[in-house]
Amino acid sequence: MFLTTPGRLNKVGVVGMNKRNVVCIARNNPRHLYPRVDNKLQTKILARDAGIKVPNLIGVVKTQGHVRELKDFLAEDKAFVIKPAKGSGGKGILVITDRAGEDYLKPSGERVSHQELCKHASNTLSGLFSLGGNNDVAMIEELVDFDPVFDGFSYQGVPDIRIILYKGYPVMAMTRLSTKDSDGKANLHQGAVGLGIDIRTGKALKAIQHGRPVTHHPDTEKEFRNFHVPKWSEFLELSSRCYEITELGYLGADIVLDAKKGALVLELNARPGLAIQMANGIGMQTRFDAVEPEVGKNRSPEERVAFSQKHFGMTQ
Amino acid sequence: MQTKTQLRLIISLLIIVGLGAAIYKNQVLGFSFFPETKVKVWTIEAKIEFMADGGPVKVTLNSADNSGNMVALNQETVGEKYLFSKEYNKAGDVTSGVWEKDSAEGKQVIFFRTSAYRMDENIEEQPPAAISDADLIIFEGASEKAAELLVKQIKESAGDEPLALTQNLLNHLNAAEKQSVQVLLQNSKKYGGFLELIRGLLARAGVNVKKAQGLFLETDSRGQKLDSMLLVYDNKKWQLVDPKTATIRTNENFLLWQSGNEPLFEVIGGKNSSVTFATNSSKVFASKASIAAGKKSGATLIDFSIYSLPLAEQNTFKLLLLIPLGALVVVILRNLVGVQTSGTFMPILIALTFLQTTLLWGLALFLVVVSVGLVMRSYLSHLNLLLVPRISAVLVFVIIIFVFISVLSIKMDFERGLQVTFFPMIIISWTIERMSVLWEEEGPRDVLIQGGGSLFTACIVYLVMINKFLGHLTYAFPELLLVLLAIVLIIGSYSGYRLTELRRFQPMTRES
Repeated sequence: MFLTTPGRLNKVGVVGMNKRNVVCIARNNPRHLYPRVDNKLQTKILARDAGIKVPNLIGVVKTQGHVRELKDFLAEDKAFVIKPAKGSGGKGILVITDRAGEDYLKPSGERVSHQELCKHASNTLSGLFSLGGNNDVAMIEELVDFDPVFDGFSYQGVPDIRIILYKGYPVMAMTRLSTKDSDGKANLHQGAVGLGIDIRTGKALKAIQHGRPVTHHPDTEKEFRNFHVPKWSEFLELSSRCYEITELGYLGADIVLDAKKGALVLELNARPGLAIQMANGIGMQTRFDAVEPEVGKNRSPEERVAFSQKHFGMTQ
Repeated sequence: MQTKTQLRLIISLLIIVGLGAAIYKNQVLGFSFFPETKVKVWTIEAKIEFMADGGPVKVTLNSADNSGNMVALNQETVGEKYLFSKEYNKAGDVTSGVWEKDSAEGKQVIFFRTSAYRMDENIEEQPPAAISDADLIIFEGASEKAAELLVKQIKESAGDEPLALTQNLLNHLNAAEKQSVQVLLQNSKKYGGFLELIRGLLARAGVNVKKAQGLFLETDSRGQKLDSMLLVYDNKKWQLVDPKTATIRTNENFLLWQSGNEPLFEVIGGKNSSVTFATNSSKVFASKASIAAGKKSGATLIDFSIYSLPLAEQNTFKLLLLIPLGALVVVILRNLVGVQTSGTFMPILIALTFLQTTLLWGLALFLVVVSVGLVMRSYLSHLNLLLVPRISAVLVFVIIIFVFISVLSIKMDFERGLQVTFFPMIIISWTIERMSVLWEEEGPRDVLIQGGGSLFTACIVYLVMINKFLGHLTYAFPELLLVLLAIVLIIGSYSGYRLTELRRFQPMTRES
């Protein structure tokens, strides 16, 4: 059958686009709270103050005057990332891994002169990368020293773990793995692989590419079955605590694994997508329904994680 | 929960009020739900403009007469600060409208509205009085001879039949080959103008002729002048003859406004006066036509409808009222079907353009403009321009493409290319910008999906907008907009699956 029926989708608890917008987002995420996640600087400050681990903030370029001071300011730092606070879709992120004399080096080995770096910062300020071209600030943060545990699962770049939280309870997790097909981008509908992660164990559930199940990475031939997130509870607790700082009932947390510091929250998202359901092979509504009776019991993040791990496990 | 009840309340209220008003208009006032009913009611609006001198002003406008099977009724003035009165003849028909004011200065505009509809039977006509000497024109010198000669000639070739005589004379006059004819035409001013000359000559030949001015009610129009016609009595009834072409016109659609020597309009206390007419048709059940047209003032519902606006504005509203219909289509396609479009309401504006260019041609032009724009825009990507200057640059590109297509099409004698200017430039620029960003960020596949979705939506919106039945409903029953609003609200709170999601999530139900 080419099409399925609404009845069958309901049975597996699939949340559709309209439900996501009308119910998940509109009811749980008051608009005035959006800046807490849409402005990455604000997210970072909120997280830092609450003791949630994030990549360290080195500095913020707020005015064109700051751009001129960049040279002295960055004298100490070898590796860092410059990104727009209100950027979208990964636009305007400049990663510097090393120096070569006066120049900076990108991960690809490409040289970036100081002048080019300043231009990038100043373009960010004038809103080249932000939605609607509004003025923005450029954040400079420490480069994450990615743990090599996920090597080979992604064609390019290092995967992050997306955890969806419903009213603070982790309900679903996945990772997006880039492929040659997706041009190195971690974008599912361009051909990246979506790999569902079991909430209880942090182990791989099932992988899908272009909406069809796959078992091996199409380019690196790695078996997805062996994907396992180490220190999984740390990931869950970290994500769960983001509920307290954002108060958003439907939230996506993107978490990366640093070799020394462990799990770090990279980004939060107030409108997480629905593909995660396909990577998990189950609809989100089932999880929402399970969480609903718990809401109002004023659980701590640790208790919430324990609840989710107890109820949402899918592997042995 | 509370917002949900509120929403339900609002939705039911909107539906009750909207549908109720529509049904009331249908049942009580006789507005038809279907466009193909028998009787067309025309609303004719005369617009008198003049510069008032500052003193007292009196304006008189002759009103439409009943003639043929056309009935004129419900003469009224719209939104005036003037004292308005009507003059009646013995039969009780309105002959003219009179506006008076103690003092007025500067530009004055007066609207006078009449409804007209066609009856199944002809109105009985009084036969004209026999031709008397007073009807004849006394020519001077050479003209007298020329007139006599001409009348003799036409009588010889056309006999006594009034219509044949008239046509024959008109042919002679319009051809203006004979010297006698030229003499008469040169002096026609002296005898009261071309039409008066014809009347005089035909009176000499024993034919009863009236000058007439009126409107052919065929299409909706604005800023129209009255057509000058001849009414020829063929011993049974008055026939309409076009003096320019000498053809007999049917008087089915002809609304007689002025005949004989009645003045059309007079302005005392002003100068630079002019009168133009706007016409507009709507459809009403035959039996209730007179109710709808005649008792407008009594029905408050109609007083608050677009029928209370000046006619020219009513025509604008016909188009305006179609836009919510387009919005509804977009809402349905996006939220129920799940079609992706580039820009929410871009498809509506493109569809409005298609209304002027026709569908296939509009599609072709749109594709050409957008693809050329995309190629040009791709160069801008390298320059890292800021948003507003970038859009402005794209706008300039779009204008250049418009100019290029227009000039090229004229050079190639292909006028249709000119229609490219109907496309809304700003929207096209934004479309190109958005598609270009999409291309860079997501790749050409998404551009095709969104672009195709937008064009598909635009086509559906276009097909809905040209639908006669829906067009009639929106215009005759604007209160149905409330029902439309209710539907939009319902869809806005619909949280079920979209049609495309039944496909998207289909793998999830396959295994379990």
